[in-house]
Amino acid sequence: MKLTPFVFEVDFSETQQRICRFIKEYVENAGAKGIVLGLSGGIDSATIAALSSLAIGGKNVLALMLPEEENFSQKDIDDAKAVADRFQLETSICDTTEVMKCFYKQIPVFDPKDRLCKGNVKARTRMVYLYYYANKFNRIVCGSSDKSETMMGYFTKWGDAAADITPILDLYKTQVRKLALHLGIPEELALKPSTPALWPAQMAETELGIKYETLDLILYGLERFMTTGEIANQLKIEKSTVETVKRRWLSNEHKRRMPIALKLGYRTVGIDFRLPRHTY
Amino acid sequence: MKDKIEIALAQISSKRESKEANFQKIEKLTIKAKEQGADLVIFPEMSLTGYVVHDQVYELAETIPGPTVEKAEMLAKKTGVHIIFGMPELSEKTQATVFNTAVFVGPQGLIGKYRKMYLPTHSVFEEKRYFRPGYQAAVFQTDLGNVGLCICYDIFFPEVLRLIRLKGAQLIVCISASPAVRRSYFETLTCARAIENTAYVAYVNLAGVQDGLQFWGGSRLVSPNGDVLAKAKYDEEDFLTCEVDFSDLRTAETFIPALRDLRPELFDKLKEYAERL
Repeated sequence: MKLTPFVFEVDFSETQQRICRFIKEYVENAGAKGIVLGLSGGIDSATIAALSSLAIGGKNVLALMLPEEENFSQKDIDDAKAVADRFQLETSICDTTEVMKCFYKQIPVFDPKDRLCKGNVKARTRMVYLYYYANKFNRIVCGSSDKSETMMGYFTKWGDAAADITPILDLYKTQVRKLALHLGIPEELALKPSTPALWPAQMAETELGIKYETLDLILYGLERFMTTGEIANQLKIEKSTVETVKRRWLSNEHKRRMPIALKLGYRTVGIDFRLPRHTY
Repeated sequence: MKDKIEIALAQISSKRESKEANFQKIEKLTIKAKEQGADLVIFPEMSLTGYVVHDQVYELAETIPGPTVEKAEMLAKKTGVHIIFGMPELSEKTQATVFNTAVFVGPQGLIGKYRKMYLPTHSVFEEKRYFRPGYQAAVFQTDLGNVGLCICYDIFFPEVLRLIRLKGAQLIVCISASPAVRRSYFETLTCARAIENTAYVAYVNLAGVQDGLQFWGGSRLVSPNGDVLAKAKYDEEDFLTCEVDFSDLRTAETFIPALRDLRPELFDKLKEYAERL
């Protein structure tokens, strides 16, 4: 198998059609009135917003913009609004600054210098907003996690990955960008560097220490059971780089699964209780 | 036996765990098949219950004959249409031994059943966790002709369809629950199996999404020389009728005499080497 960018070329019309059908069927079967999603001004949420609108109509998609003082970016707000206009979404802006400050003040051991712990509060607070709106208006939360960040565990547990459906979870970031362009999202936004927005100027590629173009090919190889040596040889990169990615992928399985339980009973949730997920 | 028959490919999306709703759909489409002049209507694998039912399969499985099959027999009798559909079958001798089975009923009652021999247990599939494999290839001599049955993953094993063909099947029905990423395999294999056996292959797949699995539809009738004579829509429910002309078998067999040229001694070698794999 050759690891080249060509492996990410798929029929994006068909991908779009399948994802839209998946969203529409899920919302209908759940008896929900529509979707709530967080619209950050980034590529993943823009793509999800576009797909949701195409699936069930923009008026049934509520896009929440959840800025806060520390990470505030007018550019992100403008990009989010442009997507909302283009796909005729219902929108609402909630400034989350005061809620965050309240958390910081009320957590006895809060350490302002620990930016990861603080950033995770932001991601989880955004999740609380999304689920409040979903409960209140009988909607489902549509997540925007992609395959690259999910495999790397590059998300906040019970935070930005919390959702009822995650329609682009099986697409690598480079594929999401291509799908975004196919959907008519402006190139400037489709190619905009990703950020989880946990602290100012946080950039995904800088933090991960690798470009998505390379990372995705490494992950693609690992997905297909290639050895780290084979991947490194093909991509002409250090084997240690591939091994670092592999270690991170494997060590983050706890973030992708239900909490681990000790098996004590006949059938156990998360272990051998296998039931279909119903939406009715 | 008729020279020509009309068959209906009923590519449905099953509602999971709802035998009542799914049988209503089977009933409605069997009546539609009759109205369109079909002799036989074919529904997908596990179409009675939905494919992704996991542990619920124990509650859903029924014996054959059993309540649903009796209803299907009544329906076939009422409409005069033969019906093939898939369901989880509970063994009559145990309380939790289940088979992934294709049922074949006609106006005269139950014609027979086929228990899936190859149970996929890899990737998204976990059939060996729930089902016992079948051991018998199924070919039935009917008013419509000799009809053989297989189910989905069986088609990856040429020996299954070869055996069905050698037992006399001229129309091989493959019912399926195949998710989208496998489409190209089935599109190739349905044609290959038809050509190498000089038989008609009618492939009927599920449509719709179950637990994140999108079933790709694409049901089809393939002629003995590999032509796709009829093809249903991808991904969505669809229903179409098409003609099986058994006289075409002779033309195909004389052009590519694959059955005449069979070398039985190679089968012993296959067995020998398969055991050593």
